[in-house]
Amino acid sequence: MKTLMRYLMSLQVIVLCIVLFAPIAWMILASFKNRTEITKYPPELFFTPTLENYQHLFTRTDFLENTLNSFYVAGGSTVLGLLLALPAAYAISWHRMTWPATLTLFARMAPGTLFLLPWFIMFSNVGLSGTHAALIITHAVITLPIALWTMLPHFDGLPRELTESAQIDGCSSLKILTLIALPIVMPGLIVAIILSFIFSWNYFLFALALSGISSKTAIVASFNFIGEGVTNWGALMAAATVIALPPIILTFLIQRKLVAGLSFGAVKG
Amino acid sequence: MKAQRAASLHGLMLPAVIFVVLMVIFPFGYAFWLSLQDYRIGQAVKFIGIGNYTALIQDEQFWNGIKLTFILYITALILQLILGVGLGMLLHRVQLMRGLVRTVMVSPFMLPPVVIGMMSIVILDPGMGVANYLLKAANLPTSLFLASTDYVIYTVVLIDTWQWTPFVALIVLGGLQSLPTKIYEAAAIDGATGWREFIYITLPLLGPTILTAAVLRSVDLLRFFDVIYITTQGGPGYASSTLNIYAYRKAFEFTDIGYAAALMITLSTIVFGVVLVFSQFRKKVTW
Repeated sequence: MKTLMRYLMSLQVIVLCIVLFAPIAWMILASFKNRTEITKYPPELFFTPTLENYQHLFTRTDFLENTLNSFYVAGGSTVLGLLLALPAAYAISWHRMTWPATLTLFARMAPGTLFLLPWFIMFSNVGLSGTHAALIITHAVITLPIALWTMLPHFDGLPRELTESAQIDGCSSLKILTLIALPIVMPGLIVAIILSFIFSWNYFLFALALSGISSKTAIVASFNFIGEGVTNWGALMAAATVIALPPIILTFLIQRKLVAGLSFGAVKG
Repeated sequence: MKAQRAASLHGLMLPAVIFVVLMVIFPFGYAFWLSLQDYRIGQAVKFIGIGNYTALIQDEQFWNGIKLTFILYITALILQLILGVGLGMLLHRVQLMRGLVRTVMVSPFMLPPVVIGMMSIVILDPGMGVANYLLKAANLPTSLFLASTDYVIYTVVLIDTWQWTPFVALIVLGGLQSLPTKIYEAAAIDGATGWREFIYITLPLLGPTILTAAVLRSVDLLRFFDVIYITTQGGPGYASSTLNIYAYRKAFEFTDIGYAAALMITLSTIVFGVVLVFSQFRKKVTW
């Protein structure tokens, strides 16, 4: 009876994994199907794979440039977010203050659409609309709270004597942070970098409304493919597979810390 | 010396605080100010006070947006919490291939929403999609899914539940792993097993964990935008125009800036209200 229960539960886990993974597998498979196979009815599981969708994507469209834009924006906003969040997290943790951290939760809760209109007007006024810089700054609104809340518990765990003695030796706060504190909290820093990058990479709304032709991200370009004619499913699935790769690979590196990192604010507050 | 250090530490906070004020707090105030104007592209801007808000009350599409927002929110939240607690408990007991299972579990919610949307469009296509093919093969009724006025919002619930239930399950799993085992030993001695153990011991102890998951899902569900906009742009007609989608359409399709701002302020108020209710509730279930 006990072993039967165990088998049944294992079976449930296997079914669960299939349900969760099947759509992703279907997307990847479809990206290797040719034009006739992809719309074949009934759909087929076995076929001769082709790279023509990927060829089409990278030679006939601007997708390569769009993907590079995505890297600039995600990379830039990760750096900007960390530059702002690291010193702040260090100081907040030292003073055991909560209001500055709570302030950033505001960005986590407010609907993104709310910011679009003011940002649109603000960026037009300073001549930044449609630039990479505008996207990097707006995406930092996402990466800053992620980096801050990921780093807080790590800074909280730092032994205070360590920084106090450095301070007596005449080190400035910034020096203590970069030379003494950061090397110790490195594991947390890596999680913060990866989470920031993934969330900036994935984010749709800000780039949808604020990117220009030269700064269009791969995410927005893919969305435009849908509108331009849903008929080329192969290229659509190839694009989806390409933009799914960075988050999947990065997630793989930090899986264990992922859920704690994503529930920031809610666990403490 | 102490004071000097404190000052320099406050200085470390300054850039982040300035950034948040400039990019989050100021725009929020600005959006509120916009919501008090009659602001349409190509027309003179006019201050109309609460005019946009009184117009909301008479707008059929606003109420439609409220209705859809809450249908989506409540059905998806309940589904994800029930399934998430169930799956979390299952994963807590089964040791089978932990690492692989975890990888599969995190994949859906780490994928870009645009990928989820593209996948849904292809799989749920009424004519050529594999979903209807499988339904037909199993002798079940097929569906128009995203193309159906009646079912599009539930299709979105389905997609979101597929994507985010694993997240809830992993939070619950984390909660279960941190529960004191002594309580279960004592309960076993008292003869509490199975359902009774679940209802009287596990569930109350999991209260704070479940509430954490509920708050996180609430914030995302109430302001849900990306997958809906990617798959349907709020359609067919207005059948999936939740408050957030409707506000976006008002701003960028109809360029009625003041009215759109009023919609967004209203939605923000709802989100903050719900979070506030949860945080009050949280004090009651914390042990």
